[in-house]
Amino acid sequence: MQPIQTIQLPAFQPGDQKSEVGQAEQSFTKMLSGIVGNVEQQQQAADTAVKQVTAGTAKNLHEAMIAMEQADISIRFMVQVRNKAMEAYQEIMRMQV
Amino acid sequence: MDIFTTFKIAASALQAQRTRLDTISSNIANVETTSTPEGGPYKKKSVYFQTTPIPFADHLQSSMNKGLNGVKVARIIEDQSPPQRIYNPSHPDAGKDGYVEMPNVNVLKEMTDMMSATRSYEANTTIVKSAKRMALKALEIGR
Repeated sequence: MQPIQTIQLPAFQPGDQKSEVGQAEQSFTKMLSGIVGNVEQQQQAADTAVKQVTAGTAKNLHEAMIAMEQADISIRFMVQVRNKAMEAYQEIMRMQV
Repeated sequence: MDIFTTFKIAASALQAQRTRLDTISSNIANVETTSTPEGGPYKKKSVYFQTTPIPFADHLQSSMNKGLNGVKVARIIEDQSPPQRIYNPSHPDAGKDGYVEMPNVNVLKEMTDMMSATRSYEANTTIVKSAKRMALKALEIGR
């Protein structure tokens, strides 16, 4: 284990001016769908674990519970990301032009 | 996500403690068993723990997780201490001198072992709870 130490933050670099909105949009969509995919994967893992416990096959009770907790945390994280995106969208929609 | 590493380590410990409880259960169930397929009385079993690398550890995380290990039951060992000899000539497994070889299981020891296994299990479930609480606190940052 490494001792706790200060880390050097990377120097702030202004964003690439030439980057296009389309690219940003695409990367955001990609990120969001990645998170949704991850959440779905966790949900399915929890589902399988629960099924295996109720069917009495190899899986243990604690493994099912942990899989469910993981799914729970993942979905809460996804909801937070969605809330942030909605907040940003509404902020922009309220903007006076 | 790195919060799940805690879950993986705790899960390995929970699994190990379950196996330990299984062996204790086997010992207590067979406290009076005088005949086994291998011949002779039942011999007390105990678990042998060993560290094990965290399963599915991310390669990106591996440098930070170096030295962090889960636990596994490497094998179940038999206690080689001699069996207790009890005089009971009417027992079908009694020898010519009338003594029966009883298992070398001490119920009191098994009970204390069981309590220890239960406490370890509890401690590891508390770890899982703490990890979850920390993750939820992190999610509260955005609120």
